[in-house]
Amino acid sequence: MNKKYHWPGESRFLGYLYILPGVVIYLLFVLYPVLETVRTSFYRWDGFTVNRTFIGLQNYRQLLIDSQFLQALSHNLIFIIFYSIIPIVLGIILASLLGRRRLPGMTFFRAGLFLPQVISMVVVGVMWRWIFNPVFGPLNAFLKMVGLNSLARPWLGDFNLALPSVGIIGTWVMYGFCMVLFLAGMQRIPEDYYEAAELDGANEVQQLRYITLPSLRPEFGVALITTIIAALRVFDLVYVLTRGGPGDRTLVVAFLVYRAAFQQNRIGYAAAVATVLTLIILLISFLILRFQSRSEE
Amino acid sequence: MKKVALQVLVLGLIVMLLLTACAPAATPTAEPTKAPEEAQPAPTQAEPAQPPAETVTLVVWDQYARDVESEVMNQINKEFEEAHPGVKIERVVKSFDDLKTTIKLALGQPDGPDVAQVNQGQDMVAIVAGDLLLPLDDYATKYKWREIFPESLNSRNSATATGFGQGNLYGMSVTAEFVGVYYNKGMFEKYGWKLPTTFDEFTKLLADIKAAGETPITFGDLDGWPGIHTFSSVQHVLVDVDYINNFTYGLNNVSFDIPENREAAKIVQGWAKDGYFTDGFMGIGYDDSLKIYKSGQGALMITGTWAAGEFVTDTDQKFGNFLMPQKTVDTPQLAIGGVGLPFCIRKGTKNADLAAEYINFLVSPRAAQLWAEKGMLPAAPLPADYKVEEGTLLADQVAAWGTLLKSNGIGHYIDWATLTMYDTLNAELQKLFAGETTPEQFTAAIQADYAKR
Repeated sequence: MNKKYHWPGESRFLGYLYILPGVVIYLLFVLYPVLETVRTSFYRWDGFTVNRTFIGLQNYRQLLIDSQFLQALSHNLIFIIFYSIIPIVLGIILASLLGRRRLPGMTFFRAGLFLPQVISMVVVGVMWRWIFNPVFGPLNAFLKMVGLNSLARPWLGDFNLALPSVGIIGTWVMYGFCMVLFLAGMQRIPEDYYEAAELDGANEVQQLRYITLPSLRPEFGVALITTIIAALRVFDLVYVLTRGGPGDRTLVVAFLVYRAAFQQNRIGYAAAVATVLTLIILLISFLILRFQSRSEE
Repeated sequence: MKKVALQVLVLGLIVMLLLTACAPAATPTAEPTKAPEEAQPAPTQAEPAQPPAETVTLVVWDQYARDVESEVMNQINKEFEEAHPGVKIERVVKSFDDLKTTIKLALGQPDGPDVAQVNQGQDMVAIVAGDLLLPLDDYATKYKWREIFPESLNSRNSATATGFGQGNLYGMSVTAEFVGVYYNKGMFEKYGWKLPTTFDEFTKLLADIKAAGETPITFGDLDGWPGIHTFSSVQHVLVDVDYINNFTYGLNNVSFDIPENREAAKIVQGWAKDGYFTDGFMGIGYDDSLKIYKSGQGALMITGTWAAGEFVTDTDQKFGNFLMPQKTVDTPQLAIGGVGLPFCIRKGTKNADLAAEYINFLVSPRAAQLWAEKGMLPAAPLPADYKVEEGTLLADQVAAWGTLLKSNGIGHYIDWATLTMYDTLNAELQKLFAGETTPEQFTAAIQADYAKR
């Protein structure tokens, strides 16, 4: 053995052993299924028998003319407003209200506002299905109580309101995450910046505009990517609340995948839809990361 | 040297992990690899000869998930276990949707369920095409199952790799179902309404109920599929049994875009416009609509006999049931209906004989009585000495089932017609009910799906 390259401490090779379990799990449960999905998208297959036929790009060709797919995708894009933009705006407002003041009971409010984020999505769905129920749900009951009978709606079954209704739930779930993210980022900003700004006569809004927001740029990137991905792959809420209805008004891409795969036995087509969705998510994440690193330069 | 040893160790680990993880995927339909527990010689009669030495577990998947029906299944399983010492029923309960999506994969597994309920129609065809079910014709002969149901019902549980309605028998159903009209007896008494005998009278009754300030029909279409039953109940009044059979089995090139279907669509859309359904029905789920109805809100509800159990428990209301009246008193009665999801046997099971023995108990008079005692309509005949209490919901339904059998008037769930029909009907009917489309657009959209067969 050549002693010249001997590093202090344990053998360098041992390091790979430490990450091995992680790598193996990643390969088995992430990479392998993803590649398998891409492969399946070139086949016609019912999902449970051995009759699997290679059909090349036929699934993708069909996808381009599938009006339901395009409609579902447009709903996912609308969900970006509810899952991403509104929660980020709310998050920054709440973080600046809660972050820089020392008020009694602040931990309570922070925890309370974060709570929706930790509840399972299925529970969230069941809960909101009750809230929106036109006959015994509290939302319409409240509207009727305060004399706003004309505003009471069959929310989830209304052709115009179903999509925003599901979207609002997304906002309710995501804003707590954004808030905590921004609160954490704000801890990093040195207090002297604010003191200096105050001495120079900057008011709170100016401090937010010129100190807080620019310092939180990395957090914005994380919040954007996470929430946009959440918006693009919504499934659980739609499954529990509306099953894509009324009509096709809340149909989302992930639900289309589920329906094609498990109800209509079109695994190949479902895999093609899933592959395209993954590509769209990768592309958007890539663009955000690029935009972010460029603006940091 | 140490380094080499490490490398070998690491490589070995990777190979081992990859192999163990890939093994089940590589042989999806292989025979069981688990240590074979000797299949018990199945007891031939209800009385077992002697207690077997070791326990046999029969895994059964069913979709009797609602409280009352679930209780009945537990009782049936308990009695079967008591009559068969050494046999343990491992029951897996799934909702209908859940079962529909998972059963295909489960039946392909070497340790899948021994007995499972399988949705009739295209679902069963796909599973038969995958060669995952055991044909039951031999057992049917042995246990005389064909004497329990008329052939028109057995054919619903028969399939080939390309179509259903003919071919081998693959399952036996334990509950009968039809979609009828429930009525709130207290409300009918209070207002003096009479049960309608023709469809015109039914339409007039709806107007009377509305005029009295009550909700004529409790309905919730958030889940989509209840709309199929509402629409198709009216459709079954306007078409005949041959049309429904042809459409469902895909025979004789019938179309959906016909005047009768447009008329039925126009009628139910009119009901929605006239406020005959529960206020906000588009935003109410099916299970919630049952709760609303049993709390006494709404005079009528159009739904299946499976809901009967819910209407006789935890409610102070009294309900009756009648079949949707036909055009005239003399028109042969036709209604959406059939038998519940059949219990089938997985082809790869080692316990086929025991599974058949279990199914035979499911269709026995004793099991029928257990269903009846909880107010549910059994498919199999009740014990000769068992009398259904008169004036009950069940008595109405047993009588109605008899009428349907006599007039050969058991229709179909039209969403069986194609694999996509369920989703298409759900979406298109929601559009129709909400007034987003016209009856003409509705029938054209359904025909477009049907033509893709």
